[in-house]
Amino acid sequence: MATMKRKWGMAIDLDKCTGCGACSIACMQENNLPMFTDDSDSPKRVTFLDLMRVTNDRDTDKKFGDVETAFIPKMCQQCEGNDPKNPKPPCVSVCPVVATDVGDDGVVSQIWSRCIGCRYCQASCPYEARVFNWWKPDYEGSFKEGLSPDVSVPSRGTVIKCTFCSHIWKRERDRMLAKGVKDINAVLYTPSCASACPTGAIIFGDLNDQASEVSRLAKDKRAFRLVHTIDDKPEEEKKRLMAIKHYPNPKVYYLSSKQWIKDMQKFK
Amino acid sequence: MKIDRKDFLKVAGGAVVGGAAGFVFSGAPFNAFQWIVEWTQDQYVPGSGAERYLQSICQACPNACTVSVRMIGERAVKIETSVGGGCPIGQNLIQQLYHPDRVAFPMERAGAKGKAKFTAQIGDAAWNTAVEKIAKKIGELRAANKPLSIAAINGAHAGVSGLLLDRLVKACGSPHVYTEPCVHGASSAAVRALYNKEGSLGYDFAGADYILSFSARLFEGWGMMADMHKNLLAWKKSGTRLVQIDAQCTRTASLATEWVPLPKAGTEAVLAMGIAHLLFKAGKRSNAANAAAWTQIVMNDYTPDRVAKVTGVPEATLKKIADALMRARRPIAVAGRGAKSVSSSTLEIAAIEGLNSMLGGGTFIETPPTLGAPRYDAAAAASIKNAKTFAGLDEFIKSKDAFDVVFINDADPVYRSVFGKELAKKLEQASLVVAFTTLINDTAAYADIVLPTVTSLELPSVDKKTVVAPRYKAMHAGDAIIAIAKKIAGVADSFPYARYSDAVAAAGKGGRAAGGAPTIPIALFEKYYNTISKKVDDTAFPLSLIPFEVPSIGDGAGLALPYTLKSIDEKVYSRNKLWVHMNPETAKKFGKCEGSRVDLESQRGEVGSVRVHLTKTVAPDTVAVPLGFGHRHYTAYGEDKGVNPKEIMCDDIDPVSGNADWWFTRIKLS
Repeated sequence: MATMKRKWGMAIDLDKCTGCGACSIACMQENNLPMFTDDSDSPKRVTFLDLMRVTNDRDTDKKFGDVETAFIPKMCQQCEGNDPKNPKPPCVSVCPVVATDVGDDGVVSQIWSRCIGCRYCQASCPYEARVFNWWKPDYEGSFKEGLSPDVSVPSRGTVIKCTFCSHIWKRERDRMLAKGVKDINAVLYTPSCASACPTGAIIFGDLNDQASEVSRLAKDKRAFRLVHTIDDKPEEEKKRLMAIKHYPNPKVYYLSSKQWIKDMQKFK
Repeated sequence: MKIDRKDFLKVAGGAVVGGAAGFVFSGAPFNAFQWIVEWTQDQYVPGSGAERYLQSICQACPNACTVSVRMIGERAVKIETSVGGGCPIGQNLIQQLYHPDRVAFPMERAGAKGKAKFTAQIGDAAWNTAVEKIAKKIGELRAANKPLSIAAINGAHAGVSGLLLDRLVKACGSPHVYTEPCVHGASSAAVRALYNKEGSLGYDFAGADYILSFSARLFEGWGMMADMHKNLLAWKKSGTRLVQIDAQCTRTASLATEWVPLPKAGTEAVLAMGIAHLLFKAGKRSNAANAAAWTQIVMNDYTPDRVAKVTGVPEATLKKIADALMRARRPIAVAGRGAKSVSSSTLEIAAIEGLNSMLGGGTFIETPPTLGAPRYDAAAAASIKNAKTFAGLDEFIKSKDAFDVVFINDADPVYRSVFGKELAKKLEQASLVVAFTTLINDTAAYADIVLPTVTSLELPSVDKKTVVAPRYKAMHAGDAIIAIAKKIAGVADSFPYARYSDAVAAAGKGGRAAGGAPTIPIALFEKYYNTISKKVDDTAFPLSLIPFEVPSIGDGAGLALPYTLKSIDEKVYSRNKLWVHMNPETAKKFGKCEGSRVDLESQRGEVGSVRVHLTKTVAPDTVAVPLGFGHRHYTAYGEDKGVNPKEIMCDDIDPVSGNADWWFTRIKLS
């Protein structure tokens, strides 16, 4: 794999997230997610962005009055593995039919119709970011009119996932091509969750571009990654561990000023 | 040239191989596989069309965000950007537009009331028939000199169509027009009592440097969500301190600079007066017209020790808040408990305004748009003059008076009012109930005539064009009301508008007015301390029940949209189980554990069953219950999910606002 032309990443400021749910609804609308009459069954529902409500109320030293509540919007973390030149997310290497891969923009792709439904990728995903269509996607009557032709409707028995709305990326790329711009580094886009966030808590951009806001935020001292404890290790130790073991190395960064949210990412 | 058998086979073989290679590399087999997959699985393929972006205005709240809508051909597929903030409700516009259960045509009741069985009146004449029928019935009542049996209930965000309905009913000679309570509705009665003005309380959030919120869940649906999101960012920038008083650790409490836990839910008014007491001692004086009388109550009844006893907030914390308020340059105290559905008594708003009157008054009056008084004919004028009126919706529902014609405009009071069952009985007895709605809800289920209204995307936008032409035979409620009014003799004169948009222009935008010095309604505070301490210490019902909301569902309106159900937390509602949140200490006391099945019982009755979720985010001896669930009729997506706690919530009617103060209810587990 050649060097990535783009390395799309995300930084989510949890201190600005009110948990309103606009990101989650925008994601479902953009990606034609199915509509069952009772989608409250959380382990089985098909959704790319999980708005997780978290509190520190399990801490034994906490009592009513000093607990806190926060929301963590969790989508595919777009892992790249240890080596950005040869990206190996945990889900990609297990796929027997190359239905999922990493493109030169760093996005972990998924081709709905190529998936044979073995669910290896779902089992290997450390973030439970992949979903399986247990039933044929349902859209009652006129709900079908709100479906976008950019995202195919998945079949029953296949795994689907968040692709950072890569169909928007392709749309923007084609638009630039039509204008004669062939350099994909010139193409900009925003996934649907980031553009829907009313407080601007979700920032999207190119992690290769050192001047981008997302790069700046990823280096912020409030930044952390979901259950990725290697980040706390000293640089030398980090290198040593990465040489002997695979790490998911996600491209989604979270920012929080609350220590308990960061502590939550570690096993106790 | 002679072609022998060998050559022939070579050429033929080459053609076959070449053809096969061409076929494979053309991509056709892959397309064929795709088709086979689609065909065998009966897979739906969304239609294509030219892509374009159109501007529309979201009508979900008065903030009226301009949204950009992505269109594929004539279909709206996505709400893209939103100028003005945006919120989850705006993202739901596509689902609202294309909801398969939308009322498509004017419908008439076909079964018993409350069963939601209707027959659609298809055809161009359907609207005329419906309008004629309604106008005829009103004409009969007016001729029989019974205009007082006409009533109307507007939704909280009915806007100008609500003003038109108000005008129609009043021009007929009936004063019975009521609005579902919301944050503005709750304070407008208080504004009348405190300032003798029309309008609701507005808060100068931009100018404040210290905000003390009394259980107002500012970022979870309170007021206008888009506005509050902007305030959150502005406060972070300016360093404005937000101090949230709440009996539950909501997201607003955690986003605030400081959360003041309120161990005894529902005692916000007492806390406000306790803080006022300390401010007075520190030298702050109220600018209220009756400051002396107010101060006397505060100084005599609300000493820090007495306040600490009722609220559970330690004296030291009270002192700390009072000190911070003294130091602040422009502090404001915010009243109105709750998120989208707000419940506050006039007493509580007055107590918090009393506090503001000592802090230099960060509040103002928001005057609503108005169409002015209608032209009353002699009969209507006389009828209105002698009519008995009710202060608010709940008082109206609870009254024994029977009503013959009831209009329901974009509202669901059977579901939202604590007197829903009583209202349902009233609607059963009425001879004509007319509901303007997009979806059949618990209230429309009792309608005799259902008139289909339009959603935001079908309304004319900034450039006077609609994004999507009104679907089916839907018409804006405002246009329908104008059509009805024009058919009634003596009422038509009050409607010089050809269309709804003319009325919007005539109503104007509303504005802001200074409040001035308030007059605190002292009479309300008599014996209040005793009443509330008795309620807090009620041993027969040892727990306090308080509500909480999921922002995308709000007070129930969002539940009909399938994507909202997908986004909610599994400890709110999951697989037919509604979860109530309870402190582990309380659960231990009552022998409950995570997942226990309980029924909640108040003086009014019982709801159940719900599951217990143990969390220290809720005060001990308090049960937090999600609002918005338990619809009986609200499409296949919204109905029969969980329970509606309003059925058991407190029904004490506030004498000034005429609405129940349901926020704080004493219950027991059964």
